Amino acid sequence: MKKTIFLIGILLLLLLAACGDDQNEQANGDSDNSDGSDNGEEKTTISFWHNFAGDDLRARTIRDRIDQFNEDNPNITVEAEAIPVDGYRQRISTVAAAQELPDVFFTYSGSFTDQFYEGNLIQPITPLIDENPDWADSFLSSALDIYEYGDEEDIYSVPVAMSSTSYLFYNKELFEENNVQVPETWDELMDAIDVFNEQGITPLAMGNQAPWVAQSTTFGAIADRVTGTDWFMDAVEQNGAFFTDPVFIDALGYFKELVDANAYQEGANSIDNTQAEQYFAQGKAAMMINGSWTISSLASSSSEEVLENIGVALVPSIPEGEGRENTITGGPGGGFVLNKNAEGDVKEAGLELIYYLSNDEAQKEIAESNSMVMYDVDIDEDKVSPLYYNAFNLVRGAEFAPVYDLYLSAAAGEAINNGLQEIMLGGDLEPVAENLQQAQAQSVEEDDDE
Amino acid sequence: MQNILRVKYLLALTLLPTLLLYTFIVIVPIIWSSYYGFFKWSGMNEPSFIGWSNYMEVVNDPIFWRALKNNLIIVAASVFGQVPIALILALMLRKTSLFQKFVRSAVFLPMVISTVVVGLIWGYIYNPEFGIVNAFLETVGLETWTRAWLSDRSVNMYAVAIPIIWNYIGPYLIIFIAAIQNVPNEIEDAAKIDGANGLKKLIYVTLPMMWTTIKVAVVLCISGSLKAFDQVFVMTGGGPAQSTELLATYMYNNTFVIYRYGFGSAISTMIVIVSLVLILFSQVIMKRKDEGGIGI
Repeated sequence: MKKTIFLIGILLLLLLAACGDDQNEQANGDSDNSDGSDNGEEKTTISFWHNFAGDDLRARTIRDRIDQFNEDNPNITVEAEAIPVDGYRQRISTVAAAQELPDVFFTYSGSFTDQFYEGNLIQPITPLIDENPDWADSFLSSALDIYEYGDEEDIYSVPVAMSSTSYLFYNKELFEENNVQVPETWDELMDAIDVFNEQGITPLAMGNQAPWVAQSTTFGAIADRVTGTDWFMDAVEQNGAFFTDPVFIDALGYFKELVDANAYQEGANSIDNTQAEQYFAQGKAAMMINGSWTISSLASSSSEEVLENIGVALVPSIPEGEGRENTITGGPGGGFVLNKNAEGDVKEAGLELIYYLSNDEAQKEIAESNSMVMYDVDIDEDKVSPLYYNAFNLVRGAEFAPVYDLYLSAAAGEAINNGLQEIMLGGDLEPVAENLQQAQAQSVEEDDDE
Repeated sequence: MQNILRVKYLLALTLLPTLLLYTFIVIVPIIWSSYYGFFKWSGMNEPSFIGWSNYMEVVNDPIFWRALKNNLIIVAASVFGQVPIALILALMLRKTSLFQKFVRSAVFLPMVISTVVVGLIWGYIYNPEFGIVNAFLETVGLETWTRAWLSDRSVNMYAVAIPIIWNYIGPYLIIFIAAIQNVPNEIEDAAKIDGANGLKKLIYVTLPMMWTTIKVAVVLCISGSLKAFDQVFVMTGGGPAQSTELLATYMYNNTFVIYRYGFGSAISTMIVIVSLVLILFSQVIMKRKDEGGIGI
């Protein structure tokens, strides 16, 4: 017994000793630092939060650029904090509520940035735009509009990413073997579906277990072609257009046409998106409509042989529809914004950092990490996967259409997601339209109340 | 008298900490949540009072009734699946030979696995492309029976009930084995002397001696399956088109997917009410059985 107590005592002492050492070292380190800065010129320190914390190519590219910026600018210290994607929104919202936002931070386009503008928490980056007109002009169509706020139409950020959710991927070999052309119109698509069905090949792969897939990848593109973008924007505001309008029922009807033609494999509602991607990559399905995320997940999971056999195109046009033909659902992604309270040297340094992370060179580097950007840049074909290269060039020539659930209220988004599953299970169109209309009308009403 | 009183005080005193803890982590949140049910609240903004309208909306929502119906299917599957199977297994496995020990552990094993893993495993088993259910049916020549088990609305509720039964047989098996071993040897011997053997002994001696345990098991089973969430959430998420929605997934989706915290609170209050009613109901039924003669 005595021995045990003695041993424990020794252990405790050792622990204490270890802690003491640490503190000493830290103290030493601190004093070293302060000595160093006393000798040099005055340094500007800016705090910077972003969510490029992962191990993927793009995150590493951005982190490398931040390090490079610190090296190139000895008089600026960027205190960067990388926060994992999952918790980023919450962390930023929390510090925003406490008025403790960092000097520069990453934001998502759309309603997330709206909050900062409405809360008067960010300031425009107009000086950058004025100084670098060529750079500002190189962003793809409407890329900067999403960060434009107020009567002055000031620009508050520039996107360093792009979301694009509806590519038509196709299996080149299966198309050649069955003598089918890549469909460019709806009728050609329906013909292709019939041909593949006759051959016992699934025409379109889909994994709609998490029900946003059908909506985000397929229906949004179809609906935009049928109703046109303006109609959708009006319906979102409930401004003279409603989801019970015949034109929207038409759009649902096109989706039902796919279902009725047996375009999707059996049980599409009970496999997930990744399984559907694999199903397609294994050559069991001739086509798949999916987003840009598919490009990176296929690139990391499939052999080069498989990748070379995959072609990419836009969703076929619907000439009878009201909408544009050459569109892809998606739009500008996130960018960096400057804190309202940044002034003087901090503001200068912040602007410099934002420019450094989103200028010509940065956009090129991000693009070459197999990640889509909203910027007109020629990428080196050897540095990226061929599938990505083709998709990127395809999207540069296309126009953007809204992704449904980015504009609808959360409840309405759920309504259309569940409704599309309902249609895939043989349900009627009208109740789906009515549920969606009801959910969206309710949230618009609630917004007006507030 | 003095003594008894003192013991009573002591009992009250020693129970107090547990009671307080229970009140704070169970009773208070239930009341709190039913109170939030009177508000329109997105979780971010200020809640605004809207009276009974959340509760009215729950009662008038056909999806709520569908979720309730689905939940009753799970309750029925558990009560008539888990309890009888566990009982039969317990009667067969009460000895402790090596083989029986092995079967016991095998039956208990799913209980040790995380329910999320159970959901994933069965998701693969039912998978329309490479699931073993369809593969098995094809090998034995029953191609016409193959289907997308989790998305075909005519079968998917039963399909998700099976993993839940499979998951929870173990604990009931253990409870029942313990109950059987608690039957005093004297009674068994007396029954033997009276000429009760096999089935007769089972019906007139063993089962009545276990009856209270079975009643507890049924109550546990009902309350457990009303809370059913994880396996179904992983396998289907309540879909497709809300066809496998349970009360808990319905509550989850409304609260955390579309941010209607007030409405979600109203749903959870309804879940509490439904559970209480069901458990009361089952108690009444089993009490009748007691009077009917099968009981002790």
